[in-house]
Amino acid sequence: MSCIEDKFAKLRADYPKELNSSLVMPFLRIMLDEKKHLGESDAVFIASYLDLPPMQVKEALTWYTMFYRQPMGQHVIKVCRNIACSLMGAERIIDHLSQKLGIKPGETTPDGRFTLLLVECLASCGTAPAMQIDDTYHEQLTEAKIDQILKGLSQ
Amino acid sequence: MSEKIFFNFTVTADSHKLEPYRERGGYKALETALKTLQPIDVEKEVMASGLRGRGGAGFPTGSKWSFVNKKAPVVYLCCNADEGEPGTFKDRWIFEYNSHQLIEGMLLAAYALNVRNAFIYIRGEFDLSFRRLMEAMGEAYNAGYIGENILGSGFSCDIRVMQGGGAYVCGEESSLYTSIEGFKGYPRNKPPFPAIQGLYNAPTVVNNVETLANVPWIINNGAKAFTAMGTEKHPGTKIFCVSGHVKKPGLYELPLGYPLKQLIYENCGGILNDKQLKAVIPGGSSSPILPAKDVETANLDAECLGTFRTMLGSGGVIVIAEGVCMVRLLQVLSRFYAHESCGQCTPCREGTAWMNDIISRIVAGKGVKGDMESLERITKGIMGNTVCALGDAAAMPVINIITKFREEFDYYIEHGRSMNDGRLEI
Amino acid sequence: MIELKIDNQTIETQDGDTVLTAALRHGIDIPHFCFHPCLSIAGNCRICLVQVNGRPKLMPACNLPITPGMEIETNSEPVRAARRAVMQFITLNHPVDCGICDKAGECRLQDYQVKYGDEPFAIEPKHHKPKFYDLSSRIVLDDERCILCSRCVRFTREISGTAQLGIVERGSHSRVERLDGKTFDDPYSDNVTDICPVGALLRRDFLYKSRVWYLEPVRSVCTSCARGCSINVWKRTHHWRVRSLGEEKNRMVYRITPFDNPEINGPWICNKGFDLPTFMSRPRVLRPAIHGAAASIDDIIEETKRLLSQAKKPAALVSAHASNEELAAFKDTLGDKVVVYTRQDNSPEPGDVIEDSILIRADKNPNSAGVTALFEPKAFNPSAGHDLILVWGEGVAFSSLGAATIIHLTSFEAPQEKTADIVIPISTFFEKSGSFTNFEGKRNCFKKVFEKPELVQHIGQLFGRLSA
Repeated sequence: MSCIEDKFAKLRADYPKELNSSLVMPFLRIMLDEKKHLGESDAVFIASYLDLPPMQVKEALTWYTMFYRQPMGQHVIKVCRNIACSLMGAERIIDHLSQKLGIKPGETTPDGRFTLLLVECLASCGTAPAMQIDDTYHEQLTEAKIDQILKGLSQ
Repeated sequence: MSEKIFFNFTVTADSHKLEPYRERGGYKALETALKTLQPIDVEKEVMASGLRGRGGAGFPTGSKWSFVNKKAPVVYLCCNADEGEPGTFKDRWIFEYNSHQLIEGMLLAAYALNVRNAFIYIRGEFDLSFRRLMEAMGEAYNAGYIGENILGSGFSCDIRVMQGGGAYVCGEESSLYTSIEGFKGYPRNKPPFPAIQGLYNAPTVVNNVETLANVPWIINNGAKAFTAMGTEKHPGTKIFCVSGHVKKPGLYELPLGYPLKQLIYENCGGILNDKQLKAVIPGGSSSPILPAKDVETANLDAECLGTFRTMLGSGGVIVIAEGVCMVRLLQVLSRFYAHESCGQCTPCREGTAWMNDIISRIVAGKGVKGDMESLERITKGIMGNTVCALGDAAAMPVINIITKFREEFDYYIEHGRSMNDGRLEI
Repeated sequence: MIELKIDNQTIETQDGDTVLTAALRHGIDIPHFCFHPCLSIAGNCRICLVQVNGRPKLMPACNLPITPGMEIETNSEPVRAARRAVMQFITLNHPVDCGICDKAGECRLQDYQVKYGDEPFAIEPKHHKPKFYDLSSRIVLDDERCILCSRCVRFTREISGTAQLGIVERGSHSRVERLDGKTFDDPYSDNVTDICPVGALLRRDFLYKSRVWYLEPVRSVCTSCARGCSINVWKRTHHWRVRSLGEEKNRMVYRITPFDNPEINGPWICNKGFDLPTFMSRPRVLRPAIHGAAASIDDIIEETKRLLSQAKKPAALVSAHASNEELAAFKDTLGDKVVVYTRQDNSPEPGDVIEDSILIRADKNPNSAGVTALFEPKAFNPSAGHDLILVWGEGVAFSSLGAATIIHLTSFEAPQEKTADIVIPISTFFEKSGSFTNFEGKRNCFKKVFEKPELVQHIGQLFGRLSA
């Protein structure tokens, strides 16, 4: 926990007291980056650190989609299924990934390497179809490009 | 060819950095304002320019600023960088290639509004945009453009970047600052309005990235030069985001009032695979769809699109070619809004899920007689009755698409399959 | 003071009024679920939408400040259409549980559906949510019935201050929850069952006990502390005092709910108030006794009078659970004939909240102020050499009273090391009318709920006979 607490302390030092509760979102993000997925005890930890009601942080944890609450694979593949990407072949991309990885959207590969998720608009509409793996955007996707990317991550 | 406010330099490996920005005239407007103008002068110039919000609502920026009591003990400025409207990707570009222009615009706004602590609320998903923004913030702080006693003027302002957590509704201003306060992003009922009681109950202004990034140019070149571009009621330029079935999708900075047809067929090279045009969504997924015949004469400004019963919105132009199944297209949208409804108020929480259930059932071939009438009744029950505009944004595509493409829905219900082979990609 | 026109009726308003608060004060019933006068404005149910100055965009009355010249319509066609739409959305996934739901008969959703709803037109299968969420050992939550008005959440944040409830997940998956790791142990938790407008939050000890239309409330006062919150004691209405369903049900308190008393407790009580029926169903002393043997009340009275006249130094321990009327009767009759000691019958139990800034007082007795208004506060002195002690009420260990003769006036059985010489069973505050004075000096009246058992005595009437 101490690495997380160091980051908490560093960020809190930069915030004036009256903006204390604004640290909830950044703290959740710090914990998520460290622990990969979060649970109620993490919300309680943040709440007690910031002297806020635990349910407030639990509500935030469960309401935003980026705060995973289930164990994820080593790499989380998020494919956009919104309108521009759909018009440019998102379905085809999703089928290809599904077939390549042997899993359906929402699932994790048995070896724990990849989780496949479907997400909403990533603001890559002009370079559709697009996906995000962990933090990295991959745009103008083709089946070949995807194969290359997966190969690169499997090494 | 009108002036460019954004696309006025060549993008290179370094053009986003501080020095190249300064060489382009960057931070001159800030210097001018801090050294020679009063805060009210900045507001007056923005007011005179007629600049309107570039995020979607198109509210006059100068007016928004004028509602704030600058003598209040605390005033907050929030830059709405939660670009989530499907079809929109312009703010991403501004962060990736021109963060300093946004930072300068924010500082000018903060000066006009007497803001000591400002926020940039950015999409939690953004990758390069976020990194480039943080890089630029570092550069700007080091150069003394942000922080205490900026350029020795006595004006101090800190900017903090807050990353979102994955919620489209946080692009709504009251949801945005409720999220900044450390809560889930439930929008708030108005009154009170943000200018009176917003973030932490203090007077607050929420402005879109593109809106704020226009301000340095306005200060440098004057309101009159701004009004020389665009239309009388909607001056200036806009970064239009074109996606979908065009040969050259991407960002196009053009004066407001630019003909939509010209954008698609000239700037974007026409329809992909030389197909016929079927429809265009002109201003992001929440704007009513334009059938091809309306595209012939529509101009991209708020007033003209208003006469077509649609809106400029975020300027996200989504082009749909002949052969696309509008039923499946609608389901992509209804699924999106049901996923993004915050859950606070009854009509949106229940209505978006319900509409998605019906449309998904139709797509699965199990549509029944009466489904269209149900959808119409549901949209009527949602529109105008919700806490925030997400309810309207969810209802409008539904009512517009089922009205303008009714025969496709009737066919799908009667035959249990699409008239267009369920095609989305062409 | 701005005048407000509602449906062609002009009403006076007060500073800080919204259209809804002004309307409700004048008896104009604009429907509302999420609004509660003591909680912040949520504005999420949308049933209170009204039309303003004929404009097409309807506004929620609960959040609408009043401006000069404002004209409100609550019954125009757009408003009625909006109400039909909102009712359809609220009932979309709401289970038709009325047949098995405790709230039936006092359910706002039922009332509004009948008044403002329309024929449902949804054909989708309902979305299901947990029907039995264990909020605590006292309260069960049915997430399907919940309309997410957030009254319970706002209560725990703004009134009781524990903030133990929240609404998690997004959109149509939203649910009320507590922390997984901690039960809903708020000392005021049961109030949420009172303010829940539907049958989502229910008290487990009232679950399936009775239909509410068989019951009627009697106004009373909680005796758990010196606040003396106003309560409603619910019993069978006189129409339904039917023997065939079990005679004990005719003498049963089914539940306690708060009685909204702006002077003392507002619309809230603490959990002790809700638990009164349990407290009051402890084993009763039901017959008079002399040295443990049953006796007639006349014999008891004779014997008591004899003992009192013969006693050299009689004393009385007055009860802080006695009503003002009983205390006055005691003072007028025996008050000068004995040394009067005062006490606090009950003390905080382990686990009790002792005192807080909401309602709960450290003095766990309802009428200490009534006692001190009539008698000098004086703690019992065991070495004062009393040979006869009249012990009124509970909480006194006889072993601390020395060798004195004990006359015990009490309602409830309690184990003691020695038997009282005379035991006179007395009525509880459910069995008589009267008043208590709370710690602020406010007098609060309670009404009789049941007739007393046959051999139990109204002690106020007895004092006269004892002193004659």
